[in-house]
Amino acid sequence: MAMAALAALLAGAFVLPYRLLLALAVLIRSSVLAYRMPASDDAIYYHDDPAWGDVKPLAQDDGGLHPLASIAYTDEYSEAMGYLRAVMAANEYSERVLALTEHIISMNPAHYTVWLYRAKALRETGADLAQEIAWLNPTALQHLKNYQIWHHRQTIVDALGSPAGEADFIATMLEQDSKNYHVWSYRQWLVQRFDLFASDDELRWTEAMIDDDVRNNSAWNHRWFLVVGGHGGRLESPRLVERELEYAKYAIRKAPQNQSPWNYIKGVVRAAGMPLSTVADFALEFADMRRPDDIYSSHALDLLADVYADGEGSQDEAKKALDLLASRFDPIRAQYWNYRKALLEVAGAAA
Amino acid sequence: MASSRPDPPEAATPSARLDEILDDKLRIQELPDSDHEYEDLSPQEEAHMAYLESVRIPIVDSFKTTSSEVQDETLEAVLPFLEGNPNDFPLNEHGIPHLQKEKHIKFLKKALGDYPAPFAMMDASRPWLVYWGLQGLSALGYDISEYRERVIHTFSLAQYPAGGYGGNYGHFPHLAATYAAVLSIIMVSTPDSPATYDSINRKNLWHFLGQLKQPDGGFNMTTGGEEDIRGAYCALTVLSLLNLPLELPDDAPARKCGLTSFTDRLGEWIGRCQSFDGGISAAPGNEAHGAYAFCGLGALAILGPPKETLHKYFDMSRLIHWLSARQCAPEGGYNGRTNKLVDGCYSHWVGGCWALVEEHQSEGLWNRDALARYVLSAAQFSKGGLVDKPGKRPDAYHTCYNLAGLSAAQHRYIHDAEKAGKLGLDAPFHWTPNGTFAASTIWTPADEVARIHPVFVIPFSAASESRKYFADKGSL
Repeated sequence: MAMAALAALLAGAFVLPYRLLLALAVLIRSSVLAYRMPASDDAIYYHDDPAWGDVKPLAQDDGGLHPLASIAYTDEYSEAMGYLRAVMAANEYSERVLALTEHIISMNPAHYTVWLYRAKALRETGADLAQEIAWLNPTALQHLKNYQIWHHRQTIVDALGSPAGEADFIATMLEQDSKNYHVWSYRQWLVQRFDLFASDDELRWTEAMIDDDVRNNSAWNHRWFLVVGGHGGRLESPRLVERELEYAKYAIRKAPQNQSPWNYIKGVVRAAGMPLSTVADFALEFADMRRPDDIYSSHALDLLADVYADGEGSQDEAKKALDLLASRFDPIRAQYWNYRKALLEVAGAAA
Repeated sequence: MASSRPDPPEAATPSARLDEILDDKLRIQELPDSDHEYEDLSPQEEAHMAYLESVRIPIVDSFKTTSSEVQDETLEAVLPFLEGNPNDFPLNEHGIPHLQKEKHIKFLKKALGDYPAPFAMMDASRPWLVYWGLQGLSALGYDISEYRERVIHTFSLAQYPAGGYGGNYGHFPHLAATYAAVLSIIMVSTPDSPATYDSINRKNLWHFLGQLKQPDGGFNMTTGGEEDIRGAYCALTVLSLLNLPLELPDDAPARKCGLTSFTDRLGEWIGRCQSFDGGISAAPGNEAHGAYAFCGLGALAILGPPKETLHKYFDMSRLIHWLSARQCAPEGGYNGRTNKLVDGCYSHWVGGCWALVEEHQSEGLWNRDALARYVLSAAQFSKGGLVDKPGKRPDAYHTCYNLAGLSAAQHRYIHDAEKAGKLGLDAPFHWTPNGTFAASTIWTPADEVARIHPVFVIPFSAASESRKYFADKGSL
């Protein structure tokens, strides 16, 4: 289940898991908040397990006042956490600690403390890291929006020193959620860590993602990362510049009101050190102001406004484009377009 | 190995009952059955329809993809709430639902209370639940001082002996938990309750932050954890509000790489998070995202006067272009990324950016009324609390940040850079309220929420009193 408002907050997975929220609403309504859930059939306990006989669990003492936002943990969770605190206090790293952390993660995958302690235990015990990945795969699929799992995976794959198999796994994850922020960030880390910037496979895969949904901005960002970002934000080869311009144009022709490739094409022109007017004729295909009833993209108008603003004697054209945006083609942003118009006047007065 | 306990006696456990209820999954807000015929529209509904038509982008591509399909579905879910009043809320003089303050207060008070066992997944995030609850309540004008003792107690359990806060007793310290804990504590503190301020072990906290500072200038979220722009914002927030020394502790690993201050290379690192489309990402190379944009702007507004720092580290014209593009039409609320869906939490993450940005550039860059319309008409849940979008359930997170976004739409602030003091990270204490946005055609005074500090997202007085308390106190 997606979780970790902790990590999630201020970050990609802002949305608390739907089922949990529903649960909250339902429970608040039916006032069963005081319930302590009985253990399920397959609950695991340690107190009567001889293998744990030498450990005295450190129970949580909420002493004094009742804490805010306190959770009525199951006995199973409370007990497992008590044993975890005890082994952490003793700095124990062992097979049984790995089993204990796995157990707690199954109950609360957003528990960063447990993940971090598990990572250390894997290092200290010299555990088989390939096996760890094999265990992580289904766990990650169950908890799509979890931060900790991805950071953990990064630690393990870094130690393994090979990206083998990761591309396939990521593809499986993105089938469930094609814009998952953690997955894409992890992919960028992989590219960086294993220097896959020039990999044909990586670029082809990214193209397939864009082909699948030309509005997937995460995929566009990844393409940028591969082609430009990994090279210090510069795009020097004329062949590459041409290829990227053509690629973005092809995408724009499919759906001209899609902002992702427009942002991309502007970025390419800038990274190549070319003037924005390089793509003016292309933008005119979608927004010829002489025929305002045949405008097919507000983003083309936006781009043309910038081209005209930079051009000599074309300030009036720029104003006209911005007026069209404010009054007709993108009125919710009228204040912004008017602000751009005001900047033109400032620039005009300064000239 | 560990053993299993025998089966519980009851056949139908509460968890099974819960599942039964939950599996009926689209328990969404149901619309009234009556299909309004056009001739039945009230003048107010007609006005809403005309408004929506006026802010619609008239160009729609016929080429369909997954993104366009989910956008179409979203619009279908949102529009009835912008056109009419399916929740039957009392309307204000503009025909917009009043802010349901009492219901939201009730909801947030419950959110500060007890949670059943399935919420173990929130264990590490409990400090957030407290912060969202307290901040949401104070935005609604509710006096949160009754929580003071329980706040101290809650966080005394979650304070890690070596410094910083975790989710609960025995958790490792984490920067996000520390941020939420510190904000919660200072929100309920006053100069005459020093015990509340003093419950924070500042010296150990300073050492903990020293462990997180990275050689490239950024911050890890926890020791051995990920480095991202939340780290920069959370660390600077805590350093500034608690008036901690800016020099790195002697045991800070980054010292080995020649860094001596928490602020070394930080602005440059934040600048590297600006992506090619102008937005701000979690870390260099990642996709631009609204919440990270707020973190980046907030961090720079702590590092120095925004008039200087924003322009120094960001290309502001591209950032403003990107922020502006986040406002969804005709929904009026914000999305977090290009081609994603409107979500009430971005009312703050993106809406809250404008005060910082406008201070840098100019006023009136965004559509305040459209955002307020989304919050009041589409994001209020019938029984209290605010939501991502109609059909979703409310939670403390969306309640807190929808309200913060509404506040951002309603109030103006100015920053006086001339007043900068001698102490470090002093810039965020020179914001002052500059009146209310008066031209609204959406809300009335009864729908106003409190002013919120544009950088720290807490009441103004909580920020200045904390800073003053710790500045007067001096040493660690």
